[in-house]
Amino acid sequence: MAKRLNIALAGNPNSGKTTLFNAITGARQHTGNWPGVTVEKKEGVVQFNGHQMNLVDLPGTYSLTAYSLEERLVRQFIVEDRPDVVVNVVDAANIDRNLYLTTQLLEMGIRVIIALNMTDVAEKQGVMINARKLSRLLGVPVMPTNGKKGAGIDDLLGGALELAQTDPPSDENRPIRYAKDVERECAAIESEIHLLPEAYQGLPKRWIAVKLLENDEEITKGVQGQPRSESLLGQVRESRHRLRDRFGDKPEFILTNARYSFISKIIEQSVRRTMDDRATVSESIDKVLTHRLFGPVILMTALYLVYLFTFQGSEPLVNAVERGFSRIGDLAAAVIPPGPLQSLVVSGVIDGVGGVLGFTPLIAFMFLAITFLEDTGYMARIAFMLDRILHAFGLHGASMLALMVSGGIAGGCAVPGIMATRTMREPKERLLTILVAPLMNCGAKLPIYALLIGAFFPGNKALMMLALTVISWAMALLAAKVIRWTILSGPDAPFILELPPYRVPTVRGLITNTWDRTWMYMKKAGTVILTISIILWAMMNFPSLPEDEERQFVAREDRITSAFLSDPSVARVFKSQGDIIRFNAAFRQLEDANGQNPEGRKPIFDAVATAIDDASGMADGEGNRVEASLDKVAEAYFAYTDQIMALNGERRSVQLKNTVGGQLGLALETVFRPIGFDWKTCVALVGGFAAKEVVVSTLGTAYSLADVDPEAADSLSERLQKEPGWNPVLAFSMIMFVMLYSPCFCTLVMIKKETGRWQWVVFAMVYTTALAYAAALAVRGIGVLLGAEIS
Amino acid sequence: MKRIPNEEDCDFCPAFPAKECLSDNVVPLSQFKPGEKGVVFQACGDSELRLRLMEMGFVRGSEVKVVKHAPLKDPLEFVIRGYHVSLRKEEAAHILMEKPHGRFDEVT
Repeated sequence: MAKRLNIALAGNPNSGKTTLFNAITGARQHTGNWPGVTVEKKEGVVQFNGHQMNLVDLPGTYSLTAYSLEERLVRQFIVEDRPDVVVNVVDAANIDRNLYLTTQLLEMGIRVIIALNMTDVAEKQGVMINARKLSRLLGVPVMPTNGKKGAGIDDLLGGALELAQTDPPSDENRPIRYAKDVERECAAIESEIHLLPEAYQGLPKRWIAVKLLENDEEITKGVQGQPRSESLLGQVRESRHRLRDRFGDKPEFILTNARYSFISKIIEQSVRRTMDDRATVSESIDKVLTHRLFGPVILMTALYLVYLFTFQGSEPLVNAVERGFSRIGDLAAAVIPPGPLQSLVVSGVIDGVGGVLGFTPLIAFMFLAITFLEDTGYMARIAFMLDRILHAFGLHGASMLALMVSGGIAGGCAVPGIMATRTMREPKERLLTILVAPLMNCGAKLPIYALLIGAFFPGNKALMMLALTVISWAMALLAAKVIRWTILSGPDAPFILELPPYRVPTVRGLITNTWDRTWMYMKKAGTVILTISIILWAMMNFPSLPEDEERQFVAREDRITSAFLSDPSVARVFKSQGDIIRFNAAFRQLEDANGQNPEGRKPIFDAVATAIDDASGMADGEGNRVEASLDKVAEAYFAYTDQIMALNGERRSVQLKNTVGGQLGLALETVFRPIGFDWKTCVALVGGFAAKEVVVSTLGTAYSLADVDPEAADSLSERLQKEPGWNPVLAFSMIMFVMLYSPCFCTLVMIKKETGRWQWVVFAMVYTTALAYAAALAVRGIGVLLGAEIS
Repeated sequence: MKRIPNEEDCDFCPAFPAKECLSDNVVPLSQFKPGEKGVVFQACGDSELRLRLMEMGFVRGSEVKVVKHAPLKDPLEFVIRGYHVSLRKEEAAHILMEKPHGRFDEVT
C-alpha cells in the first residue's frame, strides 16, 4: 500500500534541523511563507520504500509555550494539520536544553521520533550518548543522524514509516510523570473535559488538562464558550490555587522545573560526559572574535566585507542585467514607432522589469553573505557585541546588519536592507528596524548629493559626505528612539540570545537558502514593483501636451531647420531634411562608439562629413579646401543642433509641467514655499518617489536641459549655480530632504511584504516626509540665523 | 521558606532587587564576574521573562558560568547546561543565584 505520509521536522534553532531537511529532500523542496506572516515555511517531498513522504520544516523553537510567533506556528501546525509523525531534531552536543522541546512534544500525545543529530560533534566534546537507553527512557525511537554528511537518513525515514503504522502513544505509557499533587490536579481537570472544540478533537485530554493548568492563553480561550466550560474553568482555577499553596509557585513554573528534573534524570542515565570544562575549538575561536579589542575591529571589517560583497560583488551582474535591458529597450525602440506606445513599452514596462531584475543579483549576494554569517554562528556574535549601543535606541543588536545594508555605509539599498531583518526574531525590534532603515544613505541618494555638493560645496566634498553619513545615522537612531517611546512603546522583548558554536556552513545550505529568499523577492515583490513602476511612468508622461502647443513646437523646429538649410554654406553636406536625419544617425553612432564629450564633436563631424563626401563622390581631390569649408559647415551644424536641443529641452519641461506629476509638483510648491523649493524641485522629488536616482534626471528635465546623465550631471550643476534662488542653504535643505523623505515605492513594497500591513507603509511615508520637511526647514532657519543670503 | 518570592512579587517585581528574597544567601547573576560560577536559585520577573529564562535552562540547581562581557560591558555571555547564551544585565538581574560558600572562591 502506498500511503502519503505527512512528516514535520521540529527542533531548536541551531539544532541542524534545516541542514537535515535539505539532506533528506534534496532539490525536491520549495519555500513559501506561513499564511499571513513572514516566517519562512519549507516543504519537500521524498520517495521512500514506495511511500511518498511530505516533509515540512517547522520554524526552530526552544519550546511550545506559544509566546513567540514561531512557537504558535509550530503548535498550530501540529494541532491543526496533525502530521503522521513529528521528527524531533535534537542537537546531541546540546542535549539538555534540546530535550525540553522533546518533553513538550511527548506531552502532546503524538508520534515522535528523535533524530539525534551531530553526535560526532558531541563526541568530540566528550558527550557520549547511549541512544538505545535514551530511546527506552523517552519511550520513542531515537535515530542518530548527521545532516551534514547525510548519514542516518534511511534509518530515520524507515523508523518514521514504521512508527506511522502504530497507534499514537497512549497516556498510560507516558514517560513524564509529575509530583503526585500535580498528577491529581491534572486528572481532576481531565475529568471535567467533556466536549472539546473542533480544533482540539483527537488530541489527548491530558495535554489539554496540562495546558489549562499552565494557564495557556490559547487553549483557555479555545475551551471558553464550549458547553459546560464554566465548571471546567472553575476546576482549573481551583487546581491552580491548590498547587500554588502547596508549592509556593504558579503551576506553569512548577511544571517547567519538573520537566527539567525529568531531563536531568534521563541525562544522568543515558549520557556520559568526559573532558569536563575543557574549552572547545569554538570557544577558542570566540575568545578572539568577541575579544574586547579585536572583536569590534573584526566586526567592523566583517560588516564592511558584507557590504563590499553585496554591492561590489554583485556589480558586474547588476550591470549586465541593466545592459541587457537597455539593449532590449533599444531593440523595442527600433521596432515600435516613436510615440506613447514606444514610451510605454521602453520606459514603462522594460525599464520596470529591468528595475526589478536589476535588484535581484544584489539581493542574492546579500542573502548569500547573510546566510553565511547565520550558518557559521557569527550573526549571533554581531548582535552580542552591538546590542549595548543599539538597545539604547530601542533597537536590537541584530538590527545592525539591516542598517548597514540599507546604507549605513553610504551607498547601500533599503530593499535588501529590509529583507535582511528576516534574521531578527523579536517582532517589535524588527518592525522598528524596518521603519528606520530607509533613512540611511542608499546608493540612489548619492548622485543627488554629488550634484548639490559639487555645485555648492565644491571645496568640502569628502567632509560633506562624512557629515551626511553621520547625520543619517543620527536621524535613524533618533527616529528609532522616538518611535519606541511613542507608537511602539512597551517593555523590551527579553534578550535571550543563544550563541551557537561556530560551524562550517554546507554549500547546499548556503545555495538553497539564498535561492529561496531571492526567488521569494522576485515572486512577491517583483509583480507589485512592476505594476507601480508603470503607474508612476504614466504619471510622469501623461497627459501629453495639448495639440496646439505641440504644433507650436513643431512649427518652431521647422523654422530652425529651414533657416539652417537655407544657409548656402551648408548645402555642401546638407541639402534636405533627409540629409540631416541621416547625418544625425551616423554622428550619434560614432559618438556612442567614441564616448561623448564636447571636444570630440569636431573630429566626429569631420569623419562623418568626409564619409558622406566620399560616398556621394564629391571628393574633389583638393583636400585642404574641403577641410576649410567643412569647418564652416561644422560650426553651422553645431549651432543648429544646440538650438534644436534647447528647443527639445523646453518642450520636455513644458510637457513635464503638464503631466500629473508636474501638476502635483506645482501644487506642492505652495507647501514647500517656506523651505524655498520651486515646482521644478517639487516635481523632481515626486519623481524620486519612483526611485531616488530619478531626482537628478527629472530636475534636469524641469530645468529644460537635454538628457541628464545622473553620474555626470555637470551641465545641471552649472545651471543650478547660476539659477536665482539656488544657494548653499537651499542646496543643503534639499540634501536633507532627499536623505529623509518618503522611501521609494520599491522600499514601501518591501515594508508591506515584511510587516504585512499597509498601516506601516503609510506610517513610514508620513513620518519620514514630516521629518524631512522639519529638517529642511531647520536648515533654512539656521541658514537665516547665520546670515546667509536667501533670495 | 521565606526566601521564595511569592507570586505577586514575581509578577511585578516592584522593588526589585531590594527584596527579602535577596537577603543573605542569594545574589543576582548580574553581579557575577567573568569566570565565576554558581548555581541557580530562582528566576524572577514577569511571567513571560521568567518562563523564557526557565525554558532556556535557568531552573533551580542549574550550574551557570559567566564567560565574558560583550566589548561594551553589556550583554553578558554565560554557559548553562552545556551551551552558550547571552543575556543583558537587565535580564541577568532577574536570575537569583545561590551564594556559594565563601563567595566566589573556586572559579576559572
